[in-house]
Amino acid sequence: MRRTTKIAALLSAGILALTACGSDDPETSTDPGTGGESTTSEETEAPQSDIMVGMAYDVGGRGDQSFNDSAAAGLDQAVAEFGVTSQESEAEDGEAENAREERLRTFADAGFNPIIAVGFAYGPSIGVVSAEYPDVNFAIIDDSSVEADNVASLVFAEEQGSFLVGAAAALKSETGQVGFVGGVETPLIQKFQAGYEAGVAAVDPDITVDVTYLTQVPDFSGFGDPAKGKTAAQGMFDNGADIVYHAAGGSGGGVFEAASESGNLAIGVDSDQYNTADPSVQDVILTSMLKNVDVAVYTYLSEVVGGNVPSGVTTYDLAVDGVGYSTSGGQVDDIAADLDAYKQQIIDGEIEVPTAP
Amino acid sequence: MSNPAPEVPAVRLQGIGKRFPGVIANDNINIDVMRGTIHAIVGENGAGKSTLMKILYGVQRPDSGTIEVDGTQVSMGSPADAIKAGVGMVFQHFQLADNLTVLENVVLGAEKLHGIGGRARQRIVEISDSYSLGVEPDELVEDLGVGARQRVEILKVLYRGARTIILDEPTAVLVPQEVDELFGNLRGLKEEGLAVIFISHKLDEVLSVADEITVIRRGTTVTTVTEPSSVTARDLAELMVGSELPRASSEASTVTDEVLLSVQSLSLPGSGARPLLDDLSFDIHRGEILGIAGVEGNGQAELVEAIMGMRERATGSIRLIDTDLSSASTRQRRESGIGYIPEDRHRHGLLLDSPLWENRVLGHQGRPPSVKHGIVDKRAARQDTLRIIDEYDVRTPGPGVLARALSGGNQQKLIVGREMSGDPILLIAAHPTRGVDVGAQAAIWNHIKTARREGLAVLLISADLDELIGLSDRIEVILRGRFVGSFDPSDVTPQQLGSAMTGAGASA
Amino acid sequence: MSSARLVSFLLGLLAAVLALVAAFAITSLVLIIAGDPVGEVWGEILTFPEQRNLANIINNATVLYLSGLAVAVAFKMNLFNIGVDGQYRIAAFVAAVVAGEAWLPGYLNTALAILAAVLVGAAWAGIAGLLRATRGVSEVISTIMLNFISTSVVAYFLRKAAVREEGSNTLGTREIPEGSRIPSFSIGDGPGTEIYGFIFIAVAAGFAYWFVLNKTRFGFNLRATGQSTTAAVASGISVKRMTIGAMLISGGVAGLVGLPILFGDSYSYGSTFQSGLGFAGIAIALLGRNHPIGIALGALLFAFLDEQSNPLQILVGVSPDIVAITQGVIVLTVVISYELVRRFGVRLEQQQVAKADKPVDEPKEVTA
Repeated sequence: MRRTTKIAALLSAGILALTACGSDDPETSTDPGTGGESTTSEETEAPQSDIMVGMAYDVGGRGDQSFNDSAAAGLDQAVAEFGVTSQESEAEDGEAENAREERLRTFADAGFNPIIAVGFAYGPSIGVVSAEYPDVNFAIIDDSSVEADNVASLVFAEEQGSFLVGAAAALKSETGQVGFVGGVETPLIQKFQAGYEAGVAAVDPDITVDVTYLTQVPDFSGFGDPAKGKTAAQGMFDNGADIVYHAAGGSGGGVFEAASESGNLAIGVDSDQYNTADPSVQDVILTSMLKNVDVAVYTYLSEVVGGNVPSGVTTYDLAVDGVGYSTSGGQVDDIAADLDAYKQQIIDGEIEVPTAP
Repeated sequence: MSNPAPEVPAVRLQGIGKRFPGVIANDNINIDVMRGTIHAIVGENGAGKSTLMKILYGVQRPDSGTIEVDGTQVSMGSPADAIKAGVGMVFQHFQLADNLTVLENVVLGAEKLHGIGGRARQRIVEISDSYSLGVEPDELVEDLGVGARQRVEILKVLYRGARTIILDEPTAVLVPQEVDELFGNLRGLKEEGLAVIFISHKLDEVLSVADEITVIRRGTTVTTVTEPSSVTARDLAELMVGSELPRASSEASTVTDEVLLSVQSLSLPGSGARPLLDDLSFDIHRGEILGIAGVEGNGQAELVEAIMGMRERATGSIRLIDTDLSSASTRQRRESGIGYIPEDRHRHGLLLDSPLWENRVLGHQGRPPSVKHGIVDKRAARQDTLRIIDEYDVRTPGPGVLARALSGGNQQKLIVGREMSGDPILLIAAHPTRGVDVGAQAAIWNHIKTARREGLAVLLISADLDELIGLSDRIEVILRGRFVGSFDPSDVTPQQLGSAMTGAGASA
Repeated sequence: MSSARLVSFLLGLLAAVLALVAAFAITSLVLIIAGDPVGEVWGEILTFPEQRNLANIINNATVLYLSGLAVAVAFKMNLFNIGVDGQYRIAAFVAAVVAGEAWLPGYLNTALAILAAVLVGAAWAGIAGLLRATRGVSEVISTIMLNFISTSVVAYFLRKAAVREEGSNTLGTREIPEGSRIPSFSIGDGPGTEIYGFIFIAVAAGFAYWFVLNKTRFGFNLRATGQSTTAAVASGISVKRMTIGAMLISGGVAGLVGLPILFGDSYSYGSTFQSGLGFAGIAIALLGRNHPIGIALGALLFAFLDEQSNPLQILVGVSPDIVAITQGVIVLTVVISYELVRRFGVRLEQQQVAKADKPVDEPKEVTA
């Protein structure tokens, strides 16, 4: 067995040597980033393309039509505009805690700086690895548990965006009954629910809100199971609801289908799903609660490029258009004035949106 | 019955060879089977009869040699090829679906020949009549007796156009009266010009029905006897074994008055209305061998398992000397002194993929020398296995080989040796010599007789009536879960037993 | 005898080598078809791991080892405990709650939590054992069902027991107090080179597994039942009791699976607690042929592949899923090559037996 390994190692080493000239060797370009006492101000004096962004996605990665994709969009924009280089890696389902740490370390060792971790699952890992690499800058989305000089926490006021779509649902509902389908019952998704319920109640406290979650932690399949989403939404429509808001990632497709088949409406989440959903269900999407992860990622990177590496918690709320509602399809045009009024009240602090149901 | 020379044999096997590692297969087998004859192939278990038949029926390919059918060389890659060549086989274990009718069973898989309806029924009646098989196409197979089922099997083969029929140990499952009927049918077949190949190790039967007899020993044809009237069963047996052969003969009685096993009102409910065991009561004394005779499936296996505590629903009382075992577990029964040679050694007697010394431990997990204080003593177990290997003449390179690698006879000798260890009070021996060679058979008989002399009580179940008569001190006949007759082996014939076994005879 | 042992050892080695070579070849083929750089991928995977990677490999192997052991106990009795996954999750959760509540001081608390995990794992698997023994319900079906149920049970109680850190979106049980954690030891310098102290418990579990199965009457009965239920019954073994016993032990060991992580790394059971370890255990038990050392090698191999594949995406641009393919293929090739080698071994032995049988049996030629 050992011999096989040796031979294989020898063999692959040989091939590696042959192919080495063809591939970009990351290590040669890493030195400025990690080189000893280099500070962020030195980095900005270097050419822009020297910044290498490491992007660690949550399970699903680029192409999940949801949260990870939104982060990827922000990265792509930064790559296009600032000429930064980037490398990506995604988590595997059920991986070990130290695999997440190892992913971050691999980025750091290979000279990537900054490193962006997408998703709250990276919270503990960022805590560990940011301490090991004090000269590398980290950003984490949806988590603000780590306080360190080299960590920027990018969090969102999901409850505020959800409040607005809740208000939209209440204004549009004819049956006096609306629904909420959460992917997985986590504190994060509960924020969506809380804001939505508050939005509905602000318009008409008599409207009932049906709430269901597809799965419970630690079962995260609720974020990727359209069949479950469809069943749940169907139940709500059968029960008399006429608008259902989903915060269920990939399961949302099923919610749209259920709305389409029963002639009701649905509300999308994270991105403007009117633009990304299947054309056959486009017309049932009343609006979408925008959680502009892309904006957060882009903004963060633009600041890094600009030489001012952020740290601490940045909350993307209505005031900075970090969250909001979409108008594609024109179905909320008639109530836009109402919604904008609510928005202003929230920004002004006249309405305080709860973060837990 | 020898026919004039120029005739082409129905089947000619020439130089057939087949090698498997470690087992005797075939080596230079030469047999000619003529049309219109019953050709018996005899040989002890493991001599290579089954391999030969598998080759002839296309289940296995020979390594060397040729097969000719009606003068044409054929290559048989599958049973389908064999049937195409006109060779059919009736297996020892019937291959019939109980819940279908005879017609359905016969046409199953041969639908193309005569359809599945009236034409097929007509054909079945034709065949049945011309060979006087007495088969009714619309009867359910589950309503048929063993003999009738066998005739259905024969009809199935004829229906498929076989001109040569192989019967593998066809009398093993039959009582003497049914055997006679079968032989009548076989003679009918041969008169119609078919060739019948008859495999058996029951030499008296072979002598009474065969026109030619080929003896196989150690994988090769020893001789072909063309005049069966010129040889005796003993001659044939010696040809099979290659030496003087032993007999199961009882010696002076060693039966005492002391009851070792007392079974009272033992019953076991069945799935239907009829119980599997129906109120059985008997005693076995020190030094006594009680033989149980019966057609298979009449409760013998259940009786053994009930005494061993393997049947939860059994009721009644079982006492071994002073110990009441009625509600004891199998382990407790074994540990209070019951040795058990199971009917099916592969299923119940051995761990085939474990070494011999672990097989020595099996059934003795609670007793020294193999296990002490819950810890398996490998050294002692191996040591004791070596003793068994030596005393019981188990032919093996050592106690570390897997049980699977041993031949049937050696496996059985190991089991007997194991069950005799720990000085049992009672030995239950279910078909102790089934499927073992003559040498091992004699050895096992000797061990049983020796133990009996030393005061062992034995419950012997066997389908071999000679074995029962030869070894037992008393024979009980079991029929549908009840004892229907008690016989003294010194003045009973196999025919009398056979009548009692089928319920035809008066109980003694 | 020693030569026979050597032969069987060499045969075992041959089977493993055969399986690995085949698996590597098939994976390479997949890479070539996908147009990925074969050399670079193997180069990355087969480089000698750095200290902290080594530590990760050993730590993950510890966890996988326990999972493999749990599966192997049941395998030995021909029971297929697919439920190790659910068993370890519910057990780790209970242990986390017990240890987090810290009813007892220091290591007493640790011991209590471990005991609780073993008992809960055993009880959870015992349900399947009981159903199998009394009602004949296939343990495959019931353990799969119990996996789902345990997911829901943990989810339900996690929400009750959970404490939430400010700013974090993960849910977790109360952290285990420092005095009750199992100290790690370092195999190098720098961060991340700590090995779980729990590894000693895992090694002890492996030894206990070996001892119980091979040396005790209970283990003999278990193996005998696994080989042939009918022979076991005839020999006086109570198959029902063995079925329940084997499932209880399997579940008890499964209860340990999550604990190295719990006491050495995460200190709480949260929504990101590692899942799927039970399924990896099935592959590893197969790979290790249910042998305590074989399982250890299998666990190390799987942990090695997992760890070494982690940087693939970053450094070579190939998805680490390729290693999941390798692992899956290894399981298949291992099953095939073990069977091939086993048959070869049986043939070899039969030949020896035939040799032993022959001289005594040599017939005097008799002709008629």
